[in-house]
Amino acid sequence: MISLRRIVLLLVLAATVVGYATPLTDLFNERLKSVVAVEFFVQDEIERHPVSVLGTVVDANGTIILPGASILPGIPPGQLKDFKVYRPGSVEPSNAIYLGQDALTGWHFIRVEEKLRSQLVPVSRYEAVAADPGLSDELWGIGLRNKDEDFLPYFLSARVALVTKLPQKTAVLATEVAGPGLPVFDSAGRLAGIAQTSFGQNYLLFSHTQNAAPILLINVEESSVVLLADEVLPNLGRIPQSVTGRPIAWFGAYGLQPIDPEVAKLLKLEHQPGVVLSDLMEGSPAIQAGLKERDIVLALDGQPLPRLKPDRVVAGYFGQELLRRHPGESVVLTISRDGVRQEIKVKLGDEPKMVREADRHYFERLGFTAREFLATDGIVNRIKLSEQQGVVVQFVKPGGPAGTAGLRPDDWVREIEGEEIKTYEQALNKLTQLESEKTRAEFVLLVSRGGETSVLRVKLK
Amino acid sequence: MSRGFNRLLDAVVRIDVREITFEEGAQRFTGGIGSGVIISANGLILTNAHVASSKAVEISVTLSSLERVSARLVGWDHWTDLAVIRLDLEEVRRRKLSFTSADFGDSESLTPGQTVYAVGTPYGLTRTVTRGIISNNNRPFEDSHGVGGYETGSFNNWLQTDAAINPGNSGGPLVTEDGKVIGINSRAYIGAENLGFAIPANIARRVSADLVLHGAITRSYLGLVPGALQDLERFYALAANTGLLVRGVDPDSPAARAGLRPGDVVLTLNGQKLDGRFPEQLSPIQNTIASLPVGSTVRLGLKRGGQNLELSAVTEKLESQVGDEWAFAKWGLSVQKVSRAFARANRLPDASGVIVLGVQPGYPAAEAGLGGGDIITKIGSEPITELDKLKKIYEAYEAKPEPQLIEAQRNRRISLYVIKP
Repeated sequence: MISLRRIVLLLVLAATVVGYATPLTDLFNERLKSVVAVEFFVQDEIERHPVSVLGTVVDANGTIILPGASILPGIPPGQLKDFKVYRPGSVEPSNAIYLGQDALTGWHFIRVEEKLRSQLVPVSRYEAVAADPGLSDELWGIGLRNKDEDFLPYFLSARVALVTKLPQKTAVLATEVAGPGLPVFDSAGRLAGIAQTSFGQNYLLFSHTQNAAPILLINVEESSVVLLADEVLPNLGRIPQSVTGRPIAWFGAYGLQPIDPEVAKLLKLEHQPGVVLSDLMEGSPAIQAGLKERDIVLALDGQPLPRLKPDRVVAGYFGQELLRRHPGESVVLTISRDGVRQEIKVKLGDEPKMVREADRHYFERLGFTAREFLATDGIVNRIKLSEQQGVVVQFVKPGGPAGTAGLRPDDWVREIEGEEIKTYEQALNKLTQLESEKTRAEFVLLVSRGGETSVLRVKLK
Repeated sequence: MSRGFNRLLDAVVRIDVREITFEEGAQRFTGGIGSGVIISANGLILTNAHVASSKAVEISVTLSSLERVSARLVGWDHWTDLAVIRLDLEEVRRRKLSFTSADFGDSESLTPGQTVYAVGTPYGLTRTVTRGIISNNNRPFEDSHGVGGYETGSFNNWLQTDAAINPGNSGGPLVTEDGKVIGINSRAYIGAENLGFAIPANIARRVSADLVLHGAITRSYLGLVPGALQDLERFYALAANTGLLVRGVDPDSPAARAGLRPGDVVLTLNGQKLDGRFPEQLSPIQNTIASLPVGSTVRLGLKRGGQNLELSAVTEKLESQVGDEWAFAKWGLSVQKVSRAFARANRLPDASGVIVLGVQPGYPAAEAGLGGGDIITKIGSEPITELDKLKKIYEAYEAKPEPQLIEAQRNRRISLYVIKP
């Protein structure tokens, strides 16, 4: 139904184009040079998962940004394969390489090969809107059909319903205005922002079996949420210096919970928004600076945390402000501890190794992937720093020897064949040796899962 | 049928229980139907813990004469899913009623294939007899939430029967043709056909005697989680039928403090050789440990890798993961105390705090943002170490409602909330 409706819309549009060439259609055709469709696949141990997303051209070197949600966190860059870029209305692919993810904006950056670059125009080349769009202003954008329709471009427009900070300045439009990841313009063709992943909308479902069942619908093809140009333009140059996205500043508090105005009032904080710190990682910059669980952060470098709604956005704001900093930089936090205000200077560190960076190896005959133990595993599994050793199971081949024995992803392997595993290298050696013993019939693992330990016997024959 | 069987039928009763629950942020009452068997001339009735527990506020018993008599709880034990209630003898006398008591048989001498009968009140159908055989006389069946959210089956094996057992049969007897009680019907695989389970009479006899004497069963706790050694003997270089595999050690338990580790093999317990090769052998060993007096020193002879060593641990009192429950009507909040066992299982630093069981929509706790699973650790500046502390604060609130600052943790992340009148 949806595609039919779109086609009808397109026909009407086409008629308009033929009949009366308006400046808007010219603008539309011109702006098409800044948008692309991008295909790639994620190659895991045994399967390929194709991904198709939309991207915006940001500079003359063929750099393209993709929405943060395009790639699941934790996937190592090495598993991202075969990036292909398509211009609207074309199925001629151009190759691209993956540059990495920017921690602050979440954008993934890719760079397309030379030959296509002359046909592209970066969005930064257009004039940007002078002021944030106001209520009821009409904006327009581009949507792209799927590959089977040659990524055919179509026109979308909608009026601004709301401008808010989440914590970045964001416009929510009355209806969908562009494909997620694609730019949005005003009637004069000035850049107004980039469409984000759409918000979910609540509906009630009535059917033969369900009566008024609440469901959440998310439009994955088009979005009505736009990150405004003010937030986009200063960050277009944040091309990751490395494929892992480093350097990334590290604070080390994993629980950042906002306080609501009622709490602030009761704590006599005069309606000042704040963030309660908890789940501080041992040895992190936060701990080293002397911060404690239950400290309430009220200001960052002398700037009180802004009042944002919903309250949890304040926690997002604090996290993002830290990500704007670089490792080694210091921030001064104004905190309230047991009702007493004080200032604490925190020297930010380097983000500990992330899952996507972790060393890992797939043992095909054993049927699982072992990956090194990370500091974040310690947080997730509540393991003290002194007890952090062993390896983590990243992948288990369904029906393989380890899978049949009951091994599951995220299991924590502590012993292999009775040998206590202290380092990843040790596990790698041990497992490589086990895999190479062609006559071996079985081996034994000691694994922990959610605090429970079990001995698994993996049969190889 | 035999005379003994007819006599047994007169000893089987229907039990209607009204009990208190603390779900969804409120104190509510629910009703349930079960079965039971009178085991003494002074009106003691054996039933299941999931029929009659400390949550029961009103118990009424329907005798074989179809007369109803009230009863009260004597004691219950979720680990074996057994409870003892007592008929109101005063009432029985006053109304000139009479009843018969049943005799126990020997559950050890049962053999698979032997004919047995289940008697009870399936789906409220009073005095229903179904027939089957002993399908297995030694079935391990552990369940961490099996009896109204409480743990069960760690210290006993079960009789398995194909005599039809349906909801409402619970607490009724499984008997032989001569009317001897050889088990207490307790559970079944719902949706499966004729897979029913009963607590063996020899265990029921012992537990009921203890419940009558003490009102509860006190057990020793070590914190050792056993696993079957089956097929792993070669890996551990053990002779067959030797040793008990330590599958896990509860954090901060006596076993953990003694230095026991997962993967250790316990060869001897206080000098006695252990054989935990098959799952069926584990609960008797667990029962041996549990039956020691609390505070006993347990010597464990271990094999760890190539090394033999001996550790000793002092047992503690066994606790359930399920703590006491309560509801605070004006807040629309129901809670359960964090127990030490819960704290251990969830890697909490200590057993302080209460878990939110539920909140009532529109009431202050829900409006503040609290939700099921949150652990309330502090109110104002007062740490909630005991449920009584919370009750006191609530009483003060009832007398003089004022906003309360609540500190709660969800997945160890600390948040602050305000409960307002």
